[in-house]
Amino acid sequence: MSVDLEKILRPVDTPMAPYVPKYMLLASGEAVVVRPVERDEIPDILKHVEPLLHVERDYYDVVGARLYSELLAHYRHRYQDQYVLAVQIDGELAAVVNGRQVNPKLGMSLHTVALRRGLRVGAHAFAAKMEYHFDELGHDEVLVVAESPIGFRRWMIEYKLEKRFEVPHELGGVPSWALTRELFDAARSSLVVGRRPVPPELLDKAMDKILPPSDPPTPALDPLSATRSKYDPTATALMVERWAMERAEEASKDA
Amino acid sequence: MNREIYAYKCKRCGTMHYPFRMVCKECKQNDFFEFDTVPLPKNGKLLTYTKVYNLPAQYEVATLGLGIVELENGMRMLGQIEIDNPKMGMPVKGNVEVVRREDYDDFYGMVFRDA
Amino acid sequence: MRDVYVAGIGITTFTRLEFALSEIASYASMMALKDAGVSEVDQVYVANMGAPRVNHQTALASAVVDSLSLTPAGAAAIENGPASGGSALKAGFQAVASGMEDVVLVAGVERMREVNNLEATDFVATLTHPIAEYIYGVTLPAHAAMFTRLYMDKYGVTERHLAMVGVKNQNAALNNEWAHLQQEITLEGILDSPEAMTNNPYVAEPLRFFDACPVSDGGAAVVLVSKEKALELGRPLIRLSGVGQATDTHAVHERVEPTDLLAVRKAAADAFEMAGLTPEDVDVAELHDAFTILEIAESEEVGFFPRGEGHLALERGDTALGGKIPINVGGGLKGRGHPVGATGVAQAWEIVTQLRGDGGARQVEDAKVGFTCNFGGFGNNVVCLTFVRED
Ligand SMILES: CC(C)(COP(=O)(O)OP(=O)(O)OC[C@H]1O[C@@H](n2cnc3c(N)ncnc32)[C@H](O)[C@@H]1OP(=O)(O)O)[C@@H](O)C(=O)NCCC(=O)NCCS
Ligand SMILES: [Zn+2]
Repeated sequence: MSVDLEKILRPVDTPMAPYVPKYMLLASGEAVVVRPVERDEIPDILKHVEPLLHVERDYYDVVGARLYSELLAHYRHRYQDQYVLAVQIDGELAAVVNGRQVNPKLGMSLHTVALRRGLRVGAHAFAAKMEYHFDELGHDEVLVVAESPIGFRRWMIEYKLEKRFEVPHELGGVPSWALTRELFDAARSSLVVGRRPVPPELLDKAMDKILPPSDPPTPALDPLSATRSKYDPTATALMVERWAMERAEEASKDA
Repeated sequence: MNREIYAYKCKRCGTMHYPFRMVCKECKQNDFFEFDTVPLPKNGKLLTYTKVYNLPAQYEVATLGLGIVELENGMRMLGQIEIDNPKMGMPVKGNVEVVRREDYDDFYGMVFRDA
Repeated sequence: MRDVYVAGIGITTFTRLEFALSEIASYASMMALKDAGVSEVDQVYVANMGAPRVNHQTALASAVVDSLSLTPAGAAAIENGPASGGSALKAGFQAVASGMEDVVLVAGVERMREVNNLEATDFVATLTHPIAEYIYGVTLPAHAAMFTRLYMDKYGVTERHLAMVGVKNQNAALNNEWAHLQQEITLEGILDSPEAMTNNPYVAEPLRFFDACPVSDGGAAVVLVSKEKALELGRPLIRLSGVGQATDTHAVHERVEPTDLLAVRKAAADAFEMAGLTPEDVDVAELHDAFTILEIAESEEVGFFPRGEGHLALERGDTALGGKIPINVGGGLKGRGHPVGATGVAQAWEIVTQLRGDGGARQVEDAKVGFTCNFGGFGNNVVCLTFVRED
């Protein structure tokens, strides 16, 4: 008798209404498209998340590692009811967000990562996923956590999130915060923007291919220098960075 | 309890100061603490104001109203404002309340509202 | 008084720097010493505002002088709020002008990204009056915002003028490889599009996100020398010819005319007088645009434009590269970033770069006379400097 083990291991996704793409203008005047990502596009995103594992600042490493595992698990059918949205500027990947449905009334926000800094694309991406939870999926509440201070500022402070500290969040079991429908409606006019439908040329460009980010956050030469220099003001970090620079220089000479 | 914020009146020339200073701005008298304390008036008009969104670490509120008020006696002071639609020049009325909490300490200051 | 010359300059990238505070100062200093071609100095001044509070380090100058192996030279840190840099330059000037020292290294440094943004905001706010301002939750953006509202009311400055300064300076930073922000912005994106209010939200009404400088780490350094030494070193002769410093009331509400920046006016007038120059002589200027309104207000107070007409000059393009008096062509604080203790020195770095003709894409043609305004407190402690190229 053969058992189809895969049938047991693979979660069955609850059907979810697809996110309706939108676009908006950024501070730079560039148009940005927010749109859902299909499962078979995930590898194109993983490629650009992987380097973030080595960016210590702003917890890109922690967020990147978690996001990587969630995306991978989603791709290989080991994560239930996850959705992924991509934010693209002229095809280029500028931000990624994901989340999941816990039950028809409750959403769980997973991650928001900005690959282009200084234009609030991360904030726009987060707003889009909240819009998805409330307007398309009909959730009453979304549980949120922040790993980084900038995340805390963007979500907890700007949206005035409520505490749900009795609920440990799926991400690391830390106390949750909640965006309720009421809070979301209050934030709508100032934080949620976007125009629909997306002009066909813009949408085609975005759907066609996920292009690499042009200026993604990069690691410091020494992977943990931020932490180290904080606790060791005696110049070890500088020394280590200098060695790394020398090594890089020598390598380029040899080549 | 009716709390007050005090101005400092120079004993020599009568000039009023707020906040406290060691030497009178007007007559530059140098005797130590030669000032009388006088409660600041609480009514005045709003000179300028702002609503701050990026608050320092200790605050749990999302935004904070601040303004500079010209008091009835012509002196000015900065305070928090709790006014829905502030306008320059509008009459306001102050009250001394807790304006900041830090660890175990409460700090009192003037909070202005619509007069 | 002896004449004082700038023999060398150095800077680090302004951004979030993952180095210890003293390393950042030392790195900029190393570049300046190398540029000047000196390996020994008589005195070191390190400008810094936050080391004890933000980085948990005191006596910074002792760390820097030793890390540079400049011992036994004298060394002292100078904390004077955001005007620390200008104040350290003044101290360096006095040391050389008095004849007491021949070679003085002046470094400015700040590492404020070591803490998060909320703590950084609080740290800078501690320069306000403790009883009459700080306890209310006043921040520097709040002061600037209340000032802006008065300025708008009195002179007709609009949010568009402010945004124009922001766009000018942030985009100017694209020509400066050391600048923090390397992201172009447009008036459409931050002011006119339906998304502008979200892209560019209020931080303190009526000031918006792109009206404020970013929080940065960074260091800058200059080497000040006597004329004899300058001739010996053979670097281009850039003279620090005028120094002015002035103060104003600590509590902003005590100023008689709240739209006046009397300390700026006085510091600039003193610097010009000492240098025997007038505002009309200036070819390139660095003003302290921690908030966009300040560039407009300072451009009037230092004497470039009549009171209330700074925004009109901006509209005419007078303050842009190629204009009558280009201001902040390296991005200013808005684009280059504002590591508070480093800013005054970084301004000098930019002016010397210009007067040497090394400005590249941002070079002001044939710049001979430069001016800096380093604005401390909320305008209650200001240092202005003039620099002249001698051929
Ligand atoms: C949290 C996050 C998504 C927010 O993204 P965002 O809304 O697009 O905002 P940004 O991160 O671009 O904002 C910071 C940038 O704004 C720019 N900026 C800051 N102040 C500025 C000013 N006054 N003027 C112009 N630009 C400014 C800077 O470039 C700054 O980048 P820097 O820190 O490298 O200097 C993003 O920071 C991120 O991906 N962080 C890492 C992962 C993370 O923390 N995720 C959230 C977990 S809950
Ligand atoms: Zn008196």
